[in-house]
Amino acid sequence: MRSWSTPAEYLVWGAHCCPCPCPSGHTSDPMAAPLEMYCWKGDWGLPSVDTDCLTVLAYAKFAGAPLKVYKITNPWRSPTGVLPALKTAEKSIGSLSKPSNIIIHLRKQKYNADYDLSAKEGADTLAFVSLLEEKLLPALIYTQWVDSKNYVDVTRRWYAENIPFPLNFLLPNRIHTQQLERLRLVRGDPTLEPGEQLEKELYHDALECMTLLSQRLGSHKFFFGDSPSSLDAYVFGHLAPLLKIKLPNGKLQQHLNSLDNLRQYCTNILLLYFPSEGKEPPSRKVSVHPEGSDFDSEPHKRRNQILSVLFALGSMLGYAILTGIVSIQQVQAQPALAEPHHVDERGEEDEEE
Amino acid sequence: MGTVHARSLDPLPMRGPELGVHADDIETPDVEQETKQEVLENKDVIVQRVHIDGLGRTKEDYLTYEIADVFRAKNLIDVMKRAHKARQNLLRLGIFRQVEVVIDTSQGVDALPNGLDVTFEVTELRRMTGSYNTMVGNNEGSMVLGLKLPNVFGQAEKLTFQFSYGTKETSYGLSFFKPQPGHFERNFAVNLYKVTGQFPWSSLRETDRGVSTEFSFPLWKTNHTLKWEGVWRELGCLARTASFAVREESGHSLKSSLSHAMVIDTRNSTILPRRGALLKINQELAGYTGGDASFLKEDFEIQFNRRLFWDSVLSTSLWGGCLLPIGDKPTCIADRFYLGGPTSVRGFSMYSIGPQSEGDYLGGEMYWAGGVHLYTPLPFRPGKGGFGDLFRTHFFLNAGNLCNLNYGDGPQAHLRKLAECIRWSYGAGIVLRLGNIARLELNYCIPMGVQRGDRICDGVQFGAGIRFL
Amino acid sequence: MTLMLSVPLTLSNFSCYSPVCIDSSHFIMSLAAEAFVSQIAEDQILLSDCASSLAVQAYLRMCNLPVQVSYRPNAEYMSPSGKVPFVHVGNQVVSELGPIVQFTKAKGHSLSDGLDDVQRAEMKAYMELVNNMLLTAELYIQWCDDNTAAEISRPRYSSPYSWPLNHILAYQKQWEVRRKMTAVGWAGKNLEQVYEDVSQCCQALSQRLGTQPYFFNKQPTELDALVFGHLFTILTTRLTSDELSEKVKSYSNLLAFCRRIEQSYFEDSQAGSSSRGYSKGPSLF
Repeated sequence: MRSWSTPAEYLVWGAHCCPCPCPSGHTSDPMAAPLEMYCWKGDWGLPSVDTDCLTVLAYAKFAGAPLKVYKITNPWRSPTGVLPALKTAEKSIGSLSKPSNIIIHLRKQKYNADYDLSAKEGADTLAFVSLLEEKLLPALIYTQWVDSKNYVDVTRRWYAENIPFPLNFLLPNRIHTQQLERLRLVRGDPTLEPGEQLEKELYHDALECMTLLSQRLGSHKFFFGDSPSSLDAYVFGHLAPLLKIKLPNGKLQQHLNSLDNLRQYCTNILLLYFPSEGKEPPSRKVSVHPEGSDFDSEPHKRRNQILSVLFALGSMLGYAILTGIVSIQQVQAQPALAEPHHVDERGEEDEEE
Repeated sequence: MGTVHARSLDPLPMRGPELGVHADDIETPDVEQETKQEVLENKDVIVQRVHIDGLGRTKEDYLTYEIADVFRAKNLIDVMKRAHKARQNLLRLGIFRQVEVVIDTSQGVDALPNGLDVTFEVTELRRMTGSYNTMVGNNEGSMVLGLKLPNVFGQAEKLTFQFSYGTKETSYGLSFFKPQPGHFERNFAVNLYKVTGQFPWSSLRETDRGVSTEFSFPLWKTNHTLKWEGVWRELGCLARTASFAVREESGHSLKSSLSHAMVIDTRNSTILPRRGALLKINQELAGYTGGDASFLKEDFEIQFNRRLFWDSVLSTSLWGGCLLPIGDKPTCIADRFYLGGPTSVRGFSMYSIGPQSEGDYLGGEMYWAGGVHLYTPLPFRPGKGGFGDLFRTHFFLNAGNLCNLNYGDGPQAHLRKLAECIRWSYGAGIVLRLGNIARLELNYCIPMGVQRGDRICDGVQFGAGIRFL
Repeated sequence: MTLMLSVPLTLSNFSCYSPVCIDSSHFIMSLAAEAFVSQIAEDQILLSDCASSLAVQAYLRMCNLPVQVSYRPNAEYMSPSGKVPFVHVGNQVVSELGPIVQFTKAKGHSLSDGLDDVQRAEMKAYMELVNNMLLTAELYIQWCDDNTAAEISRPRYSSPYSWPLNHILAYQKQWEVRRKMTAVGWAGKNLEQVYEDVSQCCQALSQRLGTQPYFFNKQPTELDALVFGHLFTILTTRLTSDELSEKVKSYSNLLAFCRRIEQSYFEDSQAGSSSRGYSKGPSLF
């Protein structure tokens, strides 16, 4: 779902890369159909609950890209199967899901937020994005998906309430195990267990990373002067969830709150670029995009029904098989006199097994 | 008529030899059924036919070796004795749930007047038996699934599979066992396994994945086992605080070894023997068949038991061993010997004698340990003849030493090294026999000769063990 | 996975009045050890581990701390984090550059004290850039490029083990790295894209370095040690193709930077030694 990498193409040297010299070139291109983007829906005053989605949404706002955004809660409905996803016009590219790829694509469509950056600032962007991905992202994943209290009380609950049935029983748990596995791989420790030691290490890095960002930001409005760039999109995407989602174990949030300039910076971006989200109270029904929900609600319902019937049948069958196996094993392990009794109880279909 | 049921014997427990149950562990009651000794008693009889009823998958010709003896009987008592022996042989194969013997006078046209028919009515075990257990240990739970196929090909071959899925570790074992027809003790086994062990006294975790083949055979009064084993061993630290010496041993290695074990065991019971002696010699040669580890390991165990007054038993035992590295590679922590614990040198903590680094015991290349025990029944003998016989009180004196070899010095120096700084302890306690497999001990120990670095357990010590000094 | 750096006790014994002294007799001994054991490393160590180890070594030399390098075939498993290199001081074991920097800092040795807050933030960010892109690219080339994996990485990685363990462990490692690449989103890349990433990373570093002798003013920091470790290793290691080193060679200021650090921190002390513990290839120029 998220990508940890920073592909280098992402780094754009202002001098020679942008094919269109005009940063507002997109306004002169009314013929192109708006790009379609699929994102996790928002909550807690955020335009989306997911870091990658936030990054992409923020970049699109910064660059002024006119996206048609579907805020959905079922990743299976995205063209790539994960969120975010950008449906491009070109057949050869298809749909993109990695935030860096999406940003590159938007830039190719002349929506470039980094146009004004110097070469050195471009290098800094690359470096700070690496810093975020290496130091902050693991802790962010840990605090949302691995820390048991946070996961059970907030993350799983939100996803379980919002993802449609029956995926809501399946997906949160799957993401949970995927994220733990990813932490293991990234830390290079296959026996990694969530626990105090790991938390201490991850949080140490993350707190340091936030402090460094705060120091780098200083009293500026954005990281490179007065206009936002892609680095701001990445920083916003990583910090906003920490700031807005109230987690029971909120060490990272506390630290972020203590860094005034960084907190202010996130709030500003929310106010300036996502004014509608800020005003709305965290309601869970309004924010779904109408286009997204209308044409899909009917087949969706039927599919739900079919799925639920299948699910019920499957579980019954599974239970029957399971108990069948268990009782067979028990019978064999026991002396013979227990046998007829069991056979009587199990009835016909089990005898065939 | 003259039908005799030889069935009054206790049904033997359905255990194969893999549980280490010796035939002499099972105290065989004598054949004591009130036989209707009619005219047949002192007459010569001829066993005309032996039937085995109830066979399914088992190949009949395989069983003829086990029951052939019955034909040699000359009179009725002899028939019953031999039939009883044959029954035990059949049960020992581990493929029958039940065996009943029926002796009857011969019927039919060719029946001799003094002819007998012996019929074994057997019930075979199921083709496959399964078991399911859950185990909870310290900080870990696991689920054990077992699958056993006794008598896979009809000749008492056995295939067992055990899989344990734990919260921390998974392990499995698959083994195939095949006895030689007619000589059940001469058998061949192949094992495939993965096991994980945690050794907190060394801050060490070991995962072994291996293959082994074994060939066991009796020779005169001894039992021999020849074995080849190839193990991929993965050592790691149990905690971040593990000492550097243990860290240095971490990593992967491959051991391929040939070993030979010889056992003479004349004891009447393996756990609480009253008489008899045990001699066990084990030797292992690693490195010549591949792998990273090369060493020669010798190990022996001697035990004598003697019954004294009032049902008390005096038992003396001696262990010893040495490990010689071959080539210039030092020995591996996983191959070395460890000493100490509630069933070896009592009064010391588990494997906590000898060379250590920052509190992690590294084991030694040479050791000896000896013990003198006086076992007596419980005072006032509560539960005599039943539950109380599972218990014994004992008084003991244990001693031992463990050290590393230094190749500069000769063998004399080694012996001197083993003789100085001897750890010893004495005390008394209660022993509980757990089946025929293990025993529990609760002792009050007074350790003596403690050296720097040893971890002692002064006072009450509790422990369980299969092997004991 | 073969390099273990151990810093002799002087560091932990650092007392309040005496500075850390370089025990010259110790130094000679450590060089002898280097020369002796580098043979094992010659067979086993891989580009990425060599780069990380060289970075730590450069850092400790920049801090003026005596180093004794020892090569172990099982260093990867000895390390508490499963990564090399690690230092062993007294009874403490610390692995990887980041924690080692913290550790020496706690003992009173730091290269980045002179930086202001923004510079320190930038320094850390660039260090992560190297870890995030150069190190990942090195791993990718080693294990995900089939040619390199078959001709170099697997044979070298498995050299200390006997059959069949050598194959099992090498493939296990390769499998693990490939899964890691999937986790960090690099699985879909091809070799060209990875070279392009390396090039972009070098461009960023070159841009940042500019004409300065070190990344931050006149004094080296841990960033310099890290960049040196990776670039020098890339430049001096022969792989199936020299495309990787060509990418680095096109940035002349980075080349000069590597040369400068090699001269100031490695050559003078190595004058009498026939074998270099820190690199298995020839010197840079």
